[in-house]
Amino acid sequence: MNSPAQDDVRHWLSDLGQTSRRWIQATVLAGVLAGLATIAQMALLAWLVFQGIVEKATVSSLTPAFFGLLGALVVRAVGQGLQARFAARCSEQVRRHARRQLHAHWQALGPVALSDTSAGALAREWLDHVEALHGYFARFLPQMTLATLIPLAILMLVFWLDWLAGVFLLLSAPLIPLFMALVGMGAEKVNQQHFEIISRLSGQFLDKIRGLTTLQLFGQTKQASELLYERSDQYRRITMKTLKVAFLSSAVLEFFASVAIAVIAIYIGFGLLGYITFGPSSELTLFSGLLILLLAPEFFQPLRTLSQHYHDRAAALGAGAEILARLNQPIPGCSGTPPTTLPDNSETLRVDDVSLNYTNGAAVFDHLSVTFKRGETVALTGPSGGGKSSLLHLLAGFIRPEDGAVSVFGQAPGTDAFGWLGQKGFWIQGSWADNLRLTCPGASDVAIEAALRQVGLADLLDSRDQGISSPIGEDGQGLSGGQARRLSLARIFLADHDLVLLDEPTAGLDATSEICVLEALHKLAKAGKTLIFSTHHQALLALADRIVVVNDGEVRDA
Amino acid sequence: MRELIPWLRLILQRRGRLVVGAALLFATLTSGIALLALSGWFLTETALVGLLFAAGVQAYINLYVPGSGIRFFAVSRTVSRYLERLYNHNTVLRLLTDIRVALFNSMARAGHRERGQNTGAHWLSRLTADVDALDTVYLRVIAPATLAAFVTLLVVSLAWVIFNGLVALMLLSVLSLAFFTATLSVYRRTRSLSGQLSDRQERLRSEVIEHLEGFAELTAAGRTGKHSGRLMRHSLALSHQQAMIDGQVGWHGAAVQFLINLSAVIALWVGFDLFQQDRVSGPVLVLLPIVLLGLGEAYTMLPEAFGKLGGTISAARRLNEDIVPAPEHPSVAHPALHPEDKNQPLVATDISVGYPGYAPVLTHFSMRIQAGERLGIVGVSGCGKSSLADTFAGVISPLAGTLTTLPCAYLTQATVLFEDSVKANLLLGNPNATDAELWRVLELVDLAKRFAHEEDGLDTWLGNGGSRLSGGEGRRLVLARVLLSKAHLVILDEPFTGVDSVTRNHIVPQIDRWLESRAVISLGHGPEALLPSGRTLHLS
Repeated sequence: MNSPAQDDVRHWLSDLGQTSRRWIQATVLAGVLAGLATIAQMALLAWLVFQGIVEKATVSSLTPAFFGLLGALVVRAVGQGLQARFAARCSEQVRRHARRQLHAHWQALGPVALSDTSAGALAREWLDHVEALHGYFARFLPQMTLATLIPLAILMLVFWLDWLAGVFLLLSAPLIPLFMALVGMGAEKVNQQHFEIISRLSGQFLDKIRGLTTLQLFGQTKQASELLYERSDQYRRITMKTLKVAFLSSAVLEFFASVAIAVIAIYIGFGLLGYITFGPSSELTLFSGLLILLLAPEFFQPLRTLSQHYHDRAAALGAGAEILARLNQPIPGCSGTPPTTLPDNSETLRVDDVSLNYTNGAAVFDHLSVTFKRGETVALTGPSGGGKSSLLHLLAGFIRPEDGAVSVFGQAPGTDAFGWLGQKGFWIQGSWADNLRLTCPGASDVAIEAALRQVGLADLLDSRDQGISSPIGEDGQGLSGGQARRLSLARIFLADHDLVLLDEPTAGLDATSEICVLEALHKLAKAGKTLIFSTHHQALLALADRIVVVNDGEVRDA
Repeated sequence: MRELIPWLRLILQRRGRLVVGAALLFATLTSGIALLALSGWFLTETALVGLLFAAGVQAYINLYVPGSGIRFFAVSRTVSRYLERLYNHNTVLRLLTDIRVALFNSMARAGHRERGQNTGAHWLSRLTADVDALDTVYLRVIAPATLAAFVTLLVVSLAWVIFNGLVALMLLSVLSLAFFTATLSVYRRTRSLSGQLSDRQERLRSEVIEHLEGFAELTAAGRTGKHSGRLMRHSLALSHQQAMIDGQVGWHGAAVQFLINLSAVIALWVGFDLFQQDRVSGPVLVLLPIVLLGLGEAYTMLPEAFGKLGGTISAARRLNEDIVPAPEHPSVAHPALHPEDKNQPLVATDISVGYPGYAPVLTHFSMRIQAGERLGIVGVSGCGKSSLADTFAGVISPLAGTLTTLPCAYLTQATVLFEDSVKANLLLGNPNATDAELWRVLELVDLAKRFAHEEDGLDTWLGNGGSRLSGGEGRRLVLARVLLSKAHLVILDEPFTGVDSVTRNHIVPQIDRWLESRAVISLGHGPEALLPSGRTLHLS
């Protein structure tokens, strides 16, 4: 998979944001409310100080203003609480939407294309990468807007109070985009570095834990522990070198904020003393002076918050790139025209003039036609890479042909449920019954037990206390490869499908499992099922009514 | 919170660093507060003196001290912030190393048996996440909470000195409530939710993996829709739980800020009375509310950190469970009993084999092997071959019977390679081996050419779990590692997994010759998977 361009990722993120735009707007609105309440709080504080100290107003005459102040505090707290709550809802919705998209794409890709990527990696995309979008939508995105709106409101107020003080703040305003770029660059670098180091350290640590038994067998644990320490310390020293530079950028923001406060304080102080003979400073009072001072840190606060959330953006861009790469993975066979008419024949499986290409463009099949009859047991054989599996996947509907048509008993493949046995058996954490009801929800206990006996799992079942209700992984070991494949076969017995497709059903099995699988297939064939399997195995070839050699994209009867 | 104690003890070993880090945090916070408070004091003072000037009254004001104070705090805030971030980041990275090394050491002290079956990829990723949660407990929880409490007490003392005891007491009660809300209250409200979060997430992860592994079968049976619907529901429940925690944290944070702002209002309100009684001056009256407003910064990060504490504590609990206290004598390899006769490297008398707590897979098993002998053990999967090999090698003890063995070299069924160089991986087998010896064993397994072509030769990096090698190459490399050992007894469990037959036929005679004088037990699913053996046992 090629990683998509940054622009595409941003575009995808903003599309995703559209789905919960209301919640983002609500978050911003709540933030603005809290911001305005903060301004009101500061204004009332400054006014009260002015009234009390300069005008010598009595405490009782100030009581209404104090209650107003308390009101502003309540509004500020409510705004802050709502902001958090709306942000949480927004992110919840975004994550749901992203997961849906991935799910839909898995569905469209089908089992064959999906099996190229490990289940663990796909699960990580679906869980962790989607989770990494949280901070971006809940914190960074609303804060982006707030970091513009609130400083702007404060700036306007300060200009109205004293334009020269406003100019001091404004002077730092053109620097703000510069700060943001600086902080952003720094934060992104720190973030990237940090995660790289952490994951490298985790890797080193896990590597040693994974091989601990081996280390013990060779008596090398002490050396390994020393090595672990040494490597960790080495990484630490490297990281610290880059952090020294990276932290400077946020120090710059901090410095400007501090200097702005100091300059404004000294300017106002001298203005109040009457030492400044130009500009608007003669109009300054304790009220306006104190208010400007109290607002100065609030002017920078939204920016500082934004810089704290900057890593959320980097994390979301990183995770978004991986998710988008998955979503951009082409759906195989989609370029072809959908089959227009299906030959109406409910007694055959037909592959009609089908062409199929590998992802690299080389042809697997070029105008291939082959027909299988209902009730037949067909063995597909031939060298690996000859197209056996592809033919099975076509019949299963897991891949679509670029050209031509496939029909299964007169319908598109996959329309009716069928039995599929891949090379890896599949089981879930849970009881034997849970595992069989996965594909056959209504099955009775008796039927389940019978199906398990059919595939030679009776011994294993009898050794368990609770029969089919006992958990599969009881002994902490789970199932061996052969047992897992027999379990999958038991599902096929239980479901009683007309068509059963099997990909190398006996490859890599131990002797016991092999015998069980052979017997089970024999029973299925005798029960009149249509069995089509790929194999090299002599015993399986003997079982077949018809042997078809698939080689170089050509099909012929043996 | 008892679960955290062993980890806190570990963290506290860096006491010096923690104190310096906390001092820097303190300096940053107080510089910020002092900058604003001093500016507020200065403005009020100048406003009052300015009025006197305007009225033509002679007055004196010292501009130099507050002016340079403001400049000093502006600089000290920036500098201490920068140093604090740098220093504490360094501390966190050091703690990370400490925790990992300590964890590794205590796991290494416990034997394979005590670690049980906990080796799956799943368990490992869980372990990393749990360790990560502990790494930041100092910087996110301990340091800020201590700092907030300490600075709060300082501010209350300041109120006592410049106002009076009553005001101090009022502020103390409001601020204590704020502290309680920001810490214990958030923790209590979110404890169970955030404690379950990681369990739920891992459960969902295994469900997703199962869904994907069974995707072909589920698609064939037309069940993917139902199944993925269930996954979506579970993931929704999970995000809902997270949103609830976020909401709780948010409301608590809002309440904390409200209480702190409230304390500033109280200070001003009560202060007016004192001002009008001429007990405090105007500038001093303004000072305290501004200090209190600045205190808010010490509290901002607390609710979120304490909202996650529940998760951190359950991470610590899981780690405490995983690391069983080391047994009296480490049960690492080599059982205590050594045979008296050096010519009989292994004698098993009536042993039962299996993992403790489970039914034995083999009972009443007896055998002996002579020096220089080749013994093969054949059996189908699941018959207990690997348990038997583990027992022979001393990884697990026999459940019954007596077993005497010489120290052995053991090739486990799993191919274990480390993310390191070829050389480092080989040297495990014999740390004193020379490069020539390394090349010699690589030749034995037909890998010498493979690495001679690599630019770095023996220093070729193997990547994660040996990912730069094919399965067969990896298998041969671990085989070479075992061949490097000088042990008189060699146990090989499925030595040729993944090795193609041409290579196998080529290397088997070379290996056989190399091990000439030693006793070799090889185990496998069929005779072709073994070294040529004089005697073969069939397990069933």
